[in-house]
Amino acid sequence: MSSWLDYTINGLIVGNVYALVAVGLALIFGVSRLINFAQGSIYLVGAYIGWVAVVQLHTPLPLTIIVVAATAAVVGLIIERFGLRPLQNSVRIAPLLATIGISFVLDQLVMLTFSPNPRALPSQLPDVRFQLGGGTIGPLDLLIAGVGISSALLLFVFLRYSKLGWAVRAASQDRDAAMQMGVDVNRVNQAVFGIAAALGGVSGMLVGMYYNQIDTAMSLQATLKGVVAEVVGGAGNVPGAVIGSLLLGLVESYGVAVFGTSYRNLFAFLLLVVVLVLRPNGLFASARQAPPEPLTGTFIAPSRPVRIPRWVLAVAAAGFAVLPLFPVSFYVLQTLINAWLLGMLALSLTLVAGTMGQVSLGHAALLAIGAYTSALLSLTLNVPVGLAVIGGGLVSAALGTLLISPSFRLRGHYVSIATLAIGEIVSLVILNWESVTRGPIGISGIPPLSLFGYDLISPSSVYWFSLAVMVVLALLQGRLLTSHLGRSFRAIRDDDIAARAYGLSLNRYKSLAFIFGGFAAGVSGGIAAHLYSYINHETFNTQQSILALTVVILGGLGNVVGAIVGSVALVGLPEVFRIAAEYRILIYGIVLLLLVRFRPQGLLGTI
Amino acid sequence: MTTSAPEPLLALSGVNTFYGQAQVHFDLSITVARGHIVCLLGGNASGKSTTMKIILGLVKPRSGEVSFDGASLVGLSTPQIVRRGIASVPEARRLFADMSVRENILMGAFVRNDRDAVAQDLDRMLTLFPKLGQRLSQRAGSLSGGEQQMVAMARALMSRPRMIVMDEPTMGLSPLYVDRVLELIRTINQEGVSVFMVEQNASLALEIAHEAYVLQTGKIVLSGPARALKDDPRVRDAYLGGSEAA
Repeated sequence: MSSWLDYTINGLIVGNVYALVAVGLALIFGVSRLINFAQGSIYLVGAYIGWVAVVQLHTPLPLTIIVVAATAAVVGLIIERFGLRPLQNSVRIAPLLATIGISFVLDQLVMLTFSPNPRALPSQLPDVRFQLGGGTIGPLDLLIAGVGISSALLLFVFLRYSKLGWAVRAASQDRDAAMQMGVDVNRVNQAVFGIAAALGGVSGMLVGMYYNQIDTAMSLQATLKGVVAEVVGGAGNVPGAVIGSLLLGLVESYGVAVFGTSYRNLFAFLLLVVVLVLRPNGLFASARQAPPEPLTGTFIAPSRPVRIPRWVLAVAAAGFAVLPLFPVSFYVLQTLINAWLLGMLALSLTLVAGTMGQVSLGHAALLAIGAYTSALLSLTLNVPVGLAVIGGGLVSAALGTLLISPSFRLRGHYVSIATLAIGEIVSLVILNWESVTRGPIGISGIPPLSLFGYDLISPSSVYWFSLAVMVVLALLQGRLLTSHLGRSFRAIRDDDIAARAYGLSLNRYKSLAFIFGGFAAGVSGGIAAHLYSYINHETFNTQQSILALTVVILGGLGNVVGAIVGSVALVGLPEVFRIAAEYRILIYGIVLLLLVRFRPQGLLGTI
Repeated sequence: MTTSAPEPLLALSGVNTFYGQAQVHFDLSITVARGHIVCLLGGNASGKSTTMKIILGLVKPRSGEVSFDGASLVGLSTPQIVRRGIASVPEARRLFADMSVRENILMGAFVRNDRDAVAQDLDRMLTLFPKLGQRLSQRAGSLSGGEQQMVAMARALMSRPRMIVMDEPTMGLSPLYVDRVLELIRTINQEGVSVFMVEQNASLALEIAHEAYVLQTGKIVLSGPARALKDDPRVRDAYLGGSEAA
């Protein structure tokens, strides 16, 4: 139906939209060395403010843009002042985690205010198309292009000719030196967050008008796309972010042209992984640029872990083991089963992120691999479920480690971005590989758990099974941490250069950590698949990855007992207080924010 | 301890600094008289650079007083301290590598709002540092170490400071540039700017300084007129042995 020119125009228009998000990310990264995961939430806020302005207040278009930009800027300033400035002297990963928490809070607030149902956002522009060569272009396309280009020009003039712009550039090159010239870095941060938020908000509004639809799922997608564009252009590089965005827009548009709409995001994330692996500093970084600052060594808040006597642990385990013998409700057992499953995932993540220092944001992908493997083994090959679950763990260990291995050469924030992208890729491959995964339909009729031919259907048998698996994994991991291997993991986390100088092969140890972690997560996903009896590509999503990370930080990074305590707390407490489902994500976000701010070492302390 | 100085421009008294549990400064007291060059000598990990950071407000002392021109600097932020008239030449220059030489020099005048006078001062810098004239539009990161040191000094002077603090201004420079830098420090000082410099190269620093302090693991172990310290056998043994030959 459409010509190549149409796809090109579409790619450039979408690229302009991405640029508005990515430029803000680049400015913030430049000044604060921070990837702002809340950028997509501001974009979402912009879209909904636009909706309020257009649909309820009937503002004319120029006023709509001003209202959206101003409101979004205020949100950005609030995030900077209350979310990030208090963390200035905190560990390097703290602001990143805080922006994740902030994004959860903002997204949920929007959802609670406006309901999760999509809404139409009319563009207020006449719906005509002009012929242009072999393609067509409409007023909205021109508006988006106009806003994109004029924002870029304004930003260029600001950075090049204004005093504050100079301060932004100086601070992004050498923060301390800029302070010694009299630059107030807090003001620079404010300016940058304000500008980034205004651009992001307007971008969200324009996208809403472009597709004539807005919904709360836009947020994460926008953050991801913006991060892809920014990293492709070179983190912190403002012109690079613009070019990276246009490139991303074109790659996606041509990808859609050739393969279909469901491949759009797959191309975006593949582009990111390829760039990260081949040119981690972006396509346009000059060779001289310093490698990204390592987070290792400064990553974990120093703390003395809380020592829990073994007999207390034994008594607690025994107590939970005999629980089903007492008259407890199905509901309590169900909640605790969920806690044990999350506990396995948290064990995996606390090993990888805490002990090994690789903060993975795509851990749900390991669940998905385990779940699909186990489900397909038992359904199509009639493998007994007990073996299928173990198979899920093994495949997840092998495939997960293989998929994540491109990120082994990265450090710090880049590991988080790469794992996030790899997680998305796994979900998109599941969506598109219909011959094996049954695509968007998902897999239904997965047989229930069984062991040696006996079906585990009663809640108490499922409870015992999952508790036993988790305890075994926890014991193994505890053993691992006190071994030579565990010491090597921590050595690499604390100083990878020193570890390498002592002859430790980073790739080998990172692989070992992901193999063990992948197995635990895969088993958890496998068990979940047989419990749910239906899974699809969205069953294990980024929200779960972030939840696992919150659990791990709550318990104390690297802390095995902490991972389990954290799981019980985050799964159990909302149930105890009967908190409605839609408020839970909000609470997870707030918990994450409070932890990062007041107790980064978690409840039981980091190890 | 300073010779016969009137009211000092900068005074640190009884400063104790900690990094976590570790104490870096023990009851540190240093004064810089108006119009003087004062040099702080010391080996690695003696707390020299931290002294610079204390003056600039980049590190806060746990106790003690830092005053400039009679007013306390304690509790002020770095930009506020810069506005009081203290400029810095940081260790390893710390230029804004991706900005041009001109932009770097003008960044030094960030706290000023008198555009015309700033433009005049830029011209003045080019007479003081003639080599920079041809480099103005070049990226600062592309200059040689010695040229970068010139830019860093010009940048510091652009704020029209009453005092400049310098962290190892001769570090990593070729011998030719070392002499040039010392010469310039003298020139700057003769124009009325007080200088506080931290140095490892004692023999060179004592050539141009009026007074000097010797810092050892956070304590001042020696102080006095530079000329006297130069002949002091203890300084000779600790810092000058052989470095004269180099």
